[in-house]
Amino acid sequence: MKMLYMDTREDMPYRPTKPTTVEELKLCAARIRLQLLELCTKEVIHIGGDLSIADVMTVLWLYQMKYDPSNPKWEKRDRFVLSKGHASAVTSFAQAMRGCFPAEAVIRDYAKDGKSFSMHSCALNNRFVEASTGSLGHGFPIACGMAAGLRLKKNDTSRVYVLMGDGEQAEGSVWEAAMNAAHYKLGNLAAIIDCNGFEADGRIDELTAINDLGDKYRAFGWNVCEFDGNDIGEIKYRFDRLPPPRSEKPTALICRTVKGKGVPFMENEPKWHAGKITPEQFKECEDLLLREWRKP
Amino acid sequence: MTPGFDVEKKYSLRDTIGQYVKKLGGENEKVLVVNADLMGTCRNRSFVEAFPERAFNVGIAEQNLVSFSAGLAHEGFIPFAFTMAPFMSMRACEQCRTDVAYPGLNVRLVAAYAGVSGGISGPTHWGIEDCGIMCSMPNMTVIEVSDPVQAEQVLSASLSYEGPIYIRNGIVPTFRIHGDDYQYRIGRADVIVDGDDGAIICSGTVVQYAVLASLEIRKTCKKQVRVIDMHTIKPIDRRAVIEAAGTGTVLVVQDHNVIGGLGSQVARVIAESGLSARFAIAGIPDTFAVMAHADYLYAEYGMDAAGIKGKILEMMEH
Repeated sequence: MKMLYMDTREDMPYRPTKPTTVEELKLCAARIRLQLLELCTKEVIHIGGDLSIADVMTVLWLYQMKYDPSNPKWEKRDRFVLSKGHASAVTSFAQAMRGCFPAEAVIRDYAKDGKSFSMHSCALNNRFVEASTGSLGHGFPIACGMAAGLRLKKNDTSRVYVLMGDGEQAEGSVWEAAMNAAHYKLGNLAAIIDCNGFEADGRIDELTAINDLGDKYRAFGWNVCEFDGNDIGEIKYRFDRLPPPRSEKPTALICRTVKGKGVPFMENEPKWHAGKITPEQFKECEDLLLREWRKP
Repeated sequence: MTPGFDVEKKYSLRDTIGQYVKKLGGENEKVLVVNADLMGTCRNRSFVEAFPERAFNVGIAEQNLVSFSAGLAHEGFIPFAFTMAPFMSMRACEQCRTDVAYPGLNVRLVAAYAGVSGGISGPTHWGIEDCGIMCSMPNMTVIEVSDPVQAEQVLSASLSYEGPIYIRNGIVPTFRIHGDDYQYRIGRADVIVDGDDGAIICSGTVVQYAVLASLEIRKTCKKQVRVIDMHTIKPIDRRAVIEAAGTGTVLVVQDHNVIGGLGSQVARVIAESGLSARFAIAGIPDTFAVMAHADYLYAEYGMDAAGIKGKILEMMEH
């Protein structure tokens, strides 16, 4: 199958300049979805949770984060820790669009022996990964340590962003970290929670319900904002209004999302937690996303 | 008084470690201390008071203790994370492995209550599996300290060492094993008592009992038993093990389950080297013992001076 959604596709021109408007960001998100789906024709990926957070990752990586792809260890960068380590594909495509590496490399090398892109983020062979993750409930406390480290270094301009899933909130270590971040006044920490309502075994509400996540973080001493995590305008609005890194309360960005967002047969369908699609299914998605793309 | 050793004067390793970390903190701004509500137990309150901005206490949350320390190390610091051996190695096992060992971070995991030294606190507070657990993690260096001189030098050496280190320490007081001219190096075993009739390989607070046993054997049986302080359990000093096997008798003494501790590492070297020696491990015999004072347990399981003496004499006779 021809690789269609690379940086050179003529009917979806890639803008190398930083997208700033909601419309530009929407196009980038559609593009990332198509890249994910193209990869999904070749390999099993965690497509449901990749798609649910694709809009947030687009705004985060292409608009919000202070980051220099030519120097991933730049001291003044914003840090990103993927606590839901299985969303490695969407992370890689967002990073690719930011200029870390070509998107072709992700499609070519994903799950290839010894290469840089895998089912869970690994820093050993990918220098754009801050912390290797995969086991849930680890990235969040690591991010807290990083935020505390930035404070010690008197870096009051960088933030640490950490992305978690809602299923991940069942890990006890999440709450150890939540308590700790508020205690140490880590206003330079933003925890993004992808609330798509599902985990590997099904609906979270039917397994062990989390109940009101916002209330929980508020009770732990956090700023909380809850919003539609598939609405680019809303996401941008929330990121624009994050308290400055030198502030004293960490912020929980509780994103209400749809698992499998953008692909009707995947939306809210537990079996698409992870999987692979056929070329026919890809065609169906492509037509749909292109229609979205071309919508005035 | 035993020649060369002042066996009457005993030192607390955790006191030494806690105080020395404060000294290092004064010399190196990258040194941080992270506690999980055991600052008092781990004796590092003086650091916390001297450098409050460089001290963290995450509360009773060992998983967070380790992951949070990993985050600090990601930012270039050298965090010393303190708790008891069982909680570090088991409650936070995956954090030690995935967040610290996997990225090879410079976190120093300082684990008190090694072995059954926690005595009457009971099995929940013993660390008799920690060496096995930690040695099986790639990148992890595993050290056990035997006396205050060594403890200080281990901490100093850790500042210029790349990668994670697990430093276990028992809380049973120990006399001074090493002299003023002691030169510690991670990975190089120390011969404390010379001898070619047999060898005792040991680490931690039980080194003192091996020394007493060897001196007693020299006095009463005219046999010369070498005592090797194998402070670095991983990576082990292979040459020291091979030379010990050359005596024909190797007794490993370890405050740890007989499975997975120093003895397993020593046995692996001997087997891989194609050597043959009379071999035994004195340790916790794969059991959860009933709560008792550490001294009682050491005697019960042959790790005290009398037990070591009896065992190695028996081995050398065969």
